[in-house]
Amino acid sequence: MREVTLLEAIRTAMWEEMERDPNVFLIGEDIGRLGGAFGVTHGFLERFGPDRVVDAPISETAIIGVAVGAAAMGKRPIAEMQFMDFISCGFDQVVNVAATYRYRSGGTVSLPLVIRGPSGGYVGGSLYHSQQFEAWFFHVPGLKVVQPAFPDDAYGLMKAAIRDNNPVLFFEHKFLYRRIKGHIPQPGEDFIVPLGEARIRREGTHLSIITYGAMVHFALEAAQQLETEGISAEVVDLRTIKPLDMETIFHSVRKTSKVLIVYEAPLTGGVGAEIAARLAEHLFEWLDAPIMRVAAKDSFVPFAEPLEKFVLPSVDDILMAARQLAHY
Amino acid sequence: MSTRVKNRMTDEEKVARYRDRLTKEDLVEIYRRMWFARVFDETLYDLKKKGRLRRGNVYGSRGQEAIQVGTSYPLRPTDFVSPIHRDMPIFVFKGMTTRQVMCQVWGKANAPSRGKDSWSHMGDLKLGIIHSTSMLGSTIPVACGVAWALRLDGKTDSVIMTYLGEGATATGAFHEGMNYAAVHKLPIILIVENNQYAYSTPIELEVPTPRVADRALGYGIPGYTVDGNDVLEVYDATCAAIEHARAGRGPSIVECVTYRLQGHADHDETRARQYRPVEEIEMWEKRDPLPRFREYLLSTGLFTEEELPTPPPDVVAEIQDAVEYAIRSPDPEPHTALEDIYDEGAGVSR
Repeated sequence: MREVTLLEAIRTAMWEEMERDPNVFLIGEDIGRLGGAFGVTHGFLERFGPDRVVDAPISETAIIGVAVGAAAMGKRPIAEMQFMDFISCGFDQVVNVAATYRYRSGGTVSLPLVIRGPSGGYVGGSLYHSQQFEAWFFHVPGLKVVQPAFPDDAYGLMKAAIRDNNPVLFFEHKFLYRRIKGHIPQPGEDFIVPLGEARIRREGTHLSIITYGAMVHFALEAAQQLETEGISAEVVDLRTIKPLDMETIFHSVRKTSKVLIVYEAPLTGGVGAEIAARLAEHLFEWLDAPIMRVAAKDSFVPFAEPLEKFVLPSVDDILMAARQLAHY
Repeated sequence: MSTRVKNRMTDEEKVARYRDRLTKEDLVEIYRRMWFARVFDETLYDLKKKGRLRRGNVYGSRGQEAIQVGTSYPLRPTDFVSPIHRDMPIFVFKGMTTRQVMCQVWGKANAPSRGKDSWSHMGDLKLGIIHSTSMLGSTIPVACGVAWALRLDGKTDSVIMTYLGEGATATGAFHEGMNYAAVHKLPIILIVENNQYAYSTPIELEVPTPRVADRALGYGIPGYTVDGNDVLEVYDATCAAIEHARAGRGPSIVECVTYRLQGHADHDETRARQYRPVEEIEMWEKRDPLPRFREYLLSTGLFTEEELPTPPPDVVAEIQDAVEYAIRSPDPEPHTALEDIYDEGAGVSR
């Protein structure tokens, strides 16, 4: 096993897949000479050359469009958004061109492409370097959406995303990039985390905290505190947001009968809303309390520290909601 | 007359007469294809009126046939195209059968998209046809990706011909795609079918420069403006652009100046004679590329009147056969609407 940061796990997975498969190539802004704004692709240009590590102009539409065209031809491109916020500039290519391609081709074209990049707040990034846009893509058929919380998952999910035959959006939480360390297998072990499988990161009996991304770590911290108060919280890390692993969610909720859904994006219309709806539809009689959600306030992610703290969800928010649920 | 179009090639650069390579057989085939495009449209307009074509708009190309034929004729099987909504005949010129295309028009189960998408959004990458969308211009970056895949595979001999109207040159995707193509010298030939109207919006409200091809200046690439109603002029400029691309010298823009003789689509026939001056339409009717090419062929002395039927009967028969085949073909089963959203295959072996 190798101990790595979340960032290194992603970088290692991409490196190993590029070594394994000459069809894999990278395209994005400043990913070659600079090695990426966060250094995720440091050293790739020297190893794989400029045709496989493409320093693109500031052109998200072109970056994603090139990835789409090359993927349709059988390549396995990985398009980097320097910040996931910038994917809005290439939105048409994602939702109208990439997502629909297989469908409109009558099932004859596969589109094995990954769009990846740093997302999320808690770093003072302000409005355009902090957002969590996963819900936009959660709504679109034809896409898969992933957000890992731990290095082993990031490593295995990135490999699965590259090998998957569909467009995968891979959200990497920048707050976790260097903060979270963990172990990944040695090269050659070919460790894969299948897309669409959630993971119980902590077992519990009183309530289920269903979450993903950076919020997994907040939830685990809260769960530790709750334990000292005699509340046993289970933490379900979705890992893949689309397709949702409802089986694992249902299993957990049948056990605890109380649900807290935590996500970092604005509350309204978030991924948690869909999970809540499905739980209400399918497990209504299993529930001992109203489904609760902790999410960002319906605002933007502001710059100043007190403002950002006010908008984004905190461990305290989770604790308060969990206590309320436990005592319901 | 509101038109202010210069119908000649740029003064700066006279294009070589590639047309001189064309044999008599080539000229007959070009003539035949132009009629194919014309009869294809007329047939569908007629069937739509009669209610036999139940859904989908007919985006006619009447008056633009010289572009469809003149640009696609020099292509090789290993080249790629991405036609747009007004380019239905190009699918056939690039290797699809007329029956396949008609099945797509009727949304049948055996159509290239299995009834999922309408009309021009079909493709077949094995034939070198890239699937497009309704977001005009959005296929240019995709074409760049196809070019990139070919480059990674060392297939540097193929070119990619991307079609769009002058209206789509105002999109961001046009700029990002052309910029990327020019930076990397990708073998892309952008065919701008300048029919002078984006739906109802006249060109002076779409493009600020005298010629659409002037946009090429911003990318440091060749830009040609040709009479889009003269099939041989279109052919010459296209060949020049293809030669440039095959030599690894990058993309070109070929602006073919023409006129949309009909409405934006079949539903627009009445209003299209209100938002455009009728005299303008009538003037362009006189420049119809089909009689023009026929007159030229007769003037060469190589052809008799009988050799140039209007229309060639085999064209009519081929299209009729395809229509009847499409109408007979099975509709898709409702449940197949949920198929092909994802590739459920394993991907790369794990």
